[in-house]
This record gives sequence, C-alpha cells and structure tokens, in this order.
Amino acid sequence: MKDYSMSTQETSVTPTGKSGPVLLRVFNQDRFAGLVVVALIILALQIASQFAPHYIAPPPVLIAEKLWTQLTSLWDEILITLLRLAIALAFAMLIGTILGIVMGMLPRIRPYVRSLVVIDTGIPALSWMLIAVFWFREPEIRIFFIMSVILVPFYALNVFDGIRSLPKEWLEMCESFRPNRWQVLRYLILPHIIAYVFSTTRSVIGYATRMVIFAELIASAVGIGAQMGLAQANFDIASVFAWTLFLVVLNIFSQFLVALLEKRVLRYRPEVEVR
Amino acid sequence: MSPQSNAAIQNGEEPAILLDSINKSFGSVVAIENLSFHVNKGEIVSFLGRTGAGKSTALNLIMGNFGPTKGRVRVMGMDPNKDFKKLRQTISVGFQTDRLLPWRTTVENVELGLLILREPKAQAREKALEWLDRVNLTAAANLYPHELSGGMRQRASLARALAIDPEILLLDECFSQLDHVTSQTLRADVSEVIRKYNKTCLFITHRIDDAIEMADRILVLGAPARLLLEESPTEEDRTDRDKFRILHDKIAAALGVDA
Repeated sequence: MKDYSMSTQETSVTPTGKSGPVLLRVFNQDRFAGLVVVALIILALQIASQFAPHYIAPPPVLIAEKLWTQLTSLWDEILITLLRLAIALAFAMLIGTILGIVMGMLPRIRPYVRSLVVIDTGIPALSWMLIAVFWFREPEIRIFFIMSVILVPFYALNVFDGIRSLPKEWLEMCESFRPNRWQVLRYLILPHIIAYVFSTTRSVIGYATRMVIFAELIASAVGIGAQMGLAQANFDIASVFAWTLFLVVLNIFSQFLVALLEKRVLRYRPEVEVR
Repeated sequence: MSPQSNAAIQNGEEPAILLDSINKSFGSVVAIENLSFHVNKGEIVSFLGRTGAGKSTALNLIMGNFGPTKGRVRVMGMDPNKDFKKLRQTISVGFQTDRLLPWRTTVENVELGLLILREPKAQAREKALEWLDRVNLTAAANLYPHELSGGMRQRASLARALAIDPEILLLDECFSQLDHVTSQTLRADVSEVIRKYNKTCLFITHRIDDAIEMADRILVLGAPARLLLEESPTEEDRTDRDKFRILHDKIAAALGVDA
C-alpha cells in the first residue's frame, strides 16, 4: 500500500496543554488570598462578639459548635437539600438543553419557544415561589417546580447561543457528507454545546443553591432552608451563621467539582493563559 | 457571449459533472452568468479565477447546497440539489481550511464521513487508520487538532475527504493556506492518489502554477463567473520551463483582461 503514500514527512507536534498542573497552580495562587479573607472575617466576628450581644454577633467558636451539631445530627436535612438541588439541576439541564436545541434546529418553532423562555426569565423567583404554594400541596413538587422554572431558561438560552455560534464551516463540512438531522445533532451539535452546558452549570450552581434554600424556607418543613427558618424563629443567629458557612463551602466545593469535570470532559481544548 | 467549454464529452457517456447554461443570482447580485462546462469521469479539472469570480458559488451548486437561478446542474446524472441524499458518498470536499472538529482526535475526524455513511464503527476506524497511514499521520492518530501543525491538519482533512471513497473530489483552494513546499508536496501526493484510484476531481484555485501542475484541463473564469479561457496543459507544458511560462502568461493575461 506504500506505493501511493503521501510522502510529506512532517512530524512536528505542538506541545500539549496539561490540565492538572494549571488547576493546581490557580488553586495555589488563590488559596493564600482566600485564607487571608477567611481569617479576617473570623477576626471581625470575634471582635464584634466582644461588643454586641451574641444574638446579633455570635463568637466564631459558637458558630463552629453549631456547625458541628448540624453536620452530625442534621445530615439528613443536608442530604435532602443536596438531593433536591441535584435533581432540579439535572432536570433543568436536560429540559433546557432540549429547548435550546429545538430553538437552534427548528426555526419555525423557535419564536414560540424563545418567547416562552424570555417571558419565564422575566418572572421574579418570588412570584414562582408564591404561585407554587398556591398550585401544589406536596412540598417536593413545589420545590422541584420552583427550581425548574427558574433554572431551565439559563440552559435553554445558553445552549441556543451555543448553536448559533457554531462555525458555519463545520456545518458545511459535516453537510458535505449529506447527513440526516439526527447525525448533525449527534456528531456536531451535541459535542459543541457540551461546553455551553458546563459554563451554564458553573454560572447557575451558586444561584441554584440560593434558590433551593429560599424555596425550602417558603415551601417546605425539611431541608437546610427550613432549618434556617427555624433558627430565625428561635433567634438562633449562630445556627444561621453556621448554615451560611456550610452553604458557602458547599458552593465553592461544587464549583470546583464542576470545573474539574469540565476540564476532563473538555480536555481537547488547548490551555490558553493571558499574560 | 462568453465562450462555452469545448472539451469533448468522453465516449458520449454522461459526464461526472455538468453545468449547462447556468445563471445564479443572489438578489440583484449576479454571481454566475451563462456558465457551461463539464468534467469527465476520471478527469482533473482546475477552476481558476480571481476572488469573487463565483468559484465557490459554482462549487456550492455542484455540492447541491442550492440550485441555479437558470440552467441545469448534473452530478453523475442527478440534480445535486433535488437528489441531495442520493449523492451520498458520491461527492467529497477538501476545503480551504481544514475544518477538523476540535473535540475529535485525528482518527476520529477522518472517520467522521464514514460514520455518517453508516459504516460499522470498527470498519470505519480501520479505514480511517489506513488513510492516516497513507498521509503519514499514523503517529498523530490520537492527537487533537490543536496539537497538529497546519500541514498535518490539512492532510488529515484530505484523508477525511478521501476516506469515504467518493467518485468525485472537490478541492476548494485546499492548499492555499500552506507554505509553498508543503503545498507542492501535498498537491503532488493528492494528485497521485486521485489518478491511482481514477477519481474525478474539480480543483478550485487562484494559483496558476497549481492549476498547470495538477490539472488535465484548466477553466479560467471571469467575474461574474463565465468562461474566459479553457486550456489543456500537456506533460510538456509542465516540464518545459519555457512552455510552462507561455501557458502561465496566457492564463494570467486572461485573468488580467477581466481585471
């Protein structure tokens, strides 16, 4: 077979960007600043607790004790919140991606779906929460509904944007093989929009955490939000601080996990660092 | 009235590509005006024209991406626009830019067309690896496009176009982004593969040298796309420096007349 080989000998390969060390480097750079800020907050709380009553400014030690109690005895409340968050995020990701694809691939339906999504983004989260209380009796359904209607538009609009930004050259290349619509979706659009799904998840995960807590506060008797409501009713500000601290750590950790997963799934992308 | 292609249709058999009195307008802009030519099976025809001469419009008509405003386009006897799906595996395109998908490795990019043609996965991989071997990219099979040099990317792109074993290969200035040496070597290699497998090739370029070196027939287009000159370079034209220069100047003059 070698007799008709293309003879061009070119073996140079540009260096591969390694993902691991970059992540580690960013973490190291940010870690010092983060630790300094945390130390300053603890110090400020400690100083404030010397001058204000503990129901306004609890000392850090009391907050730590409350946090320990929550982690050891209220883990089921934490688990419920995490489950609600995960299920709602997964559902919103699925439905939002489907709506984004519908908008991107079906021009006739696009204006209707887009209008629906845009109207949804204009409705305040609080309105959805109150509507959910009227419409549904079951707290789980209420929370699921609230989370879904709030999160779906983020995915739908970002995925739609992703499809719109698909380079025309790639589409022409793919169409030169005369694929059907399913093949265009499978080989071109789905792999292209994965990056958009990840960036949406990174952007909304903090917002989603806040929303699930808010929804639990309004619409449920179990979960971290409900526990925070209970702490407020009991003038237990140390517990509120402890839950808040937990949520901050949870948010940072979940962002880190998504970023890690994103790095792995999108490993084909070259590392670019702006000096 | 622009001249019509006067090359004979081989043995009276249906040409691989036929454009008959084609007009194509986009709104008030006329891209192609009364263009007629054909490409016989197994022939390499080069399309030469300045930027904006409507070469890409003609290519899109042949690919079936849209139909003509007036006239008749036939590819292997079929209307490429109306019979779009029927021409699966008949036409393949080597583009100006490599258009490799960044999330697919080199071998996955090469097998893309085969997978779209519903070739079983294992068979598609085997064929893709064979083509990577032919273009000397075996070592880069599992690298992503951003890890390849420009020449390697373009070779992978050509391997992708050839892997589906098309009857007609359309090359749209696919060597123009490469440096002279790489371009020359790759062009010779592709030309060899096309002749070895008796493929039909329509090669769009704006480089006169490329056209003379590669084509059996050269069609020079003016703007809007209409035939200005048709030449059939001989082996002597390619090897004899003086003859090469004479042909080169003749084509350049034709292009200059249009300027």
